[in-house]
Amino acid sequence: MNKPRSPYRLAVLVTVIAAGVWLSGMKLYAGTQTQSEQKSPAPAVSNTGQRSGEQIFMENCSRCHKPPMTISPRITGTIIMHMRVRAKLSEQDQKALLRYLAP
Amino acid sequence: MIAVITMTGHGIDHKMKTWLLAGCLLFCALKTGAQDTEADSTHAGYVPVISGAAGFVDSVNGGTTTLLPAIDPVLLLPIGSHVLGEAKGDFVGVFSRRNGNGDFTGQVFSALDYAQLDWLANTHAMVVGGKYIVPFGLVSERVVPIWIDAFQNLPISFSVGTQTSGFGVGGELRGVATQNDTFSVQYAAYYSAHSGVDQFTSSHTIGFDASAYFPTHRIEVGTSYNRFQDDPKHVNNEAAYFVWQPTQLPLDIKAEWDHGYYGQGYWIQAAYVLSQIPVANRFFRNVELAGRMQQAFPDHGGGHGIPGIQTERPGVALNYYIRDNWRIVSSYERNFTSTKDANLWTIGFTYRFVWPLWPGRK
Repeated sequence: MNKPRSPYRLAVLVTVIAAGVWLSGMKLYAGTQTQSEQKSPAPAVSNTGQRSGEQIFMENCSRCHKPPMTISPRITGTIIMHMRVRAKLSEQDQKALLRYLAP
Repeated sequence: MIAVITMTGHGIDHKMKTWLLAGCLLFCALKTGAQDTEADSTHAGYVPVISGAAGFVDSVNGGTTTLLPAIDPVLLLPIGSHVLGEAKGDFVGVFSRRNGNGDFTGQVFSALDYAQLDWLANTHAMVVGGKYIVPFGLVSERVVPIWIDAFQNLPISFSVGTQTSGFGVGGELRGVATQNDTFSVQYAAYYSAHSGVDQFTSSHTIGFDASAYFPTHRIEVGTSYNRFQDDPKHVNNEAAYFVWQPTQLPLDIKAEWDHGYYGQGYWIQAAYVLSQIPVANRFFRNVELAGRMQQAFPDHGGGHGIPGIQTERPGVALNYYIRDNWRIVSSYERNFTSTKDANLWTIGFTYRFVWPLWPGRK
C-alpha cells in the first residue's frame, strides 16, 4: 500500500530544485558554452578574415540609413537584436557589433 | 520565483503540479535568457526601448497643400538575448484647406503597423510570428520610415506586392543562408492568413525575398515574389532590386523594378552627400542631394495603387542633417501623364528617437 506523500515534501523539493538552478545556472550555462566552444561545431558562417565590428557596422547600417553617432550601451543589445531581425544579420555579425558598440 | 501553493486534502492536485512544472520551466527559460545576455561578455544592455520617428511635412500636389504631421513609435521588448517582442504604431495627421482656401482641417489616422514576436534561433533561422511587414522589395521593410529615405513620397510602384495593407498576419522565417568574407545570402519566407480583424487586416499571401550582398563592393542584388490568394485572380507579384554604395564616394544608389497583375514600374535613385566639397565642409558634409526617376505602366486597367495611365515622375531632393537624428527634408518632383502634369513639393523635418524605457546596466 502506497503511503500518501506529504505535499510539503514536494513543495520543498521543487523549491530546492529551482533554487539550485537559480544559483548554479550561470556556471552551468557558462560551462556549457565553454564546452561547446571547445568542441568547435561547424560554424554557421565562415568568415575567415578579421572583419571588425566597425566594418560590419559601416557595411550594413549604411545600406539603408545614416548610422547613428552614438547608441547608449544600456540599449545596444536591444537595438542590435531589432536590427538583426530587420537587416537579416548573422549571429556572428551581431556579436561583433555588440563588441564594437558596447565593449 | 514565487509560487502560490494551494493544498487539497492530502496532496497537491494534478492541476497544481502542472502549474508548478510550468512555473519551473518558465523560470528556467527566463533564467537561461538572462544568462545568455550576460554571456555575451560585452556591456550591451537589453532594456526595453521606445524608438521611432516623428516628422512634419508640408506636401503640395498639383497646387493642393496637405500638412502631414506624423509620429511612428516602435516598442522593443527583449526577453533575454534571443527573443524580442516589437510593435510599431503609426499616427498620421492629414490636414488640408477647407474648400481649397480656408482653414486647415483634417483628421489623425492611427494604425498598428506591426506587432510581432521574434525568436533569433540562430544565424540561419529567425522565426517571426504575429503581424509583420511584408518583405517585398527595398521599400516596405527598409526605407519606409520617414527618417530614412531621401524622398518623403513613396515610389509609384510601391503598392505592387504590398497591396491591401502591406502587412501579413501569420509567420515568417528569415535569416542568413550563407555568409563568408566576400558575400552573404539572406532570405525571408512568409505565410499570411486572411484577416479582417481591426488593426490586423491582411491578405492570404505567401512569398519570399532573397538577396545577395557583397560587402567589399557594397553591392546588393535581390528579388521578391509573393502571391495574393485572396484576389480572385491569385495575383502574382515580382520585384528585383539593386543597391550600390561605392566605397570611394558618399553615394547611395538604389533601384527597383516591380511587376504585378495591375501594372509594373521601376524607380532608380541616387543620393550623394556633399562631404567632398572642400569649402565650408562642416556645412556641406551634412547636405544630401538626391535624384530619382520612376515610371509606372498600368496593366488590366491599373488600380490597387497603380495609376490608371502611364506615369513618369522625375524628381530631386535636398536634405540637411542638423544632427544624425534631425534633418530638414525637401523635394520636388514632376508628374507627367497623358492627361495632366503636376508638380509635387515637400518640405519639412524628421526626427528619430531611441530611448530606454527604464534604467538598466550601463
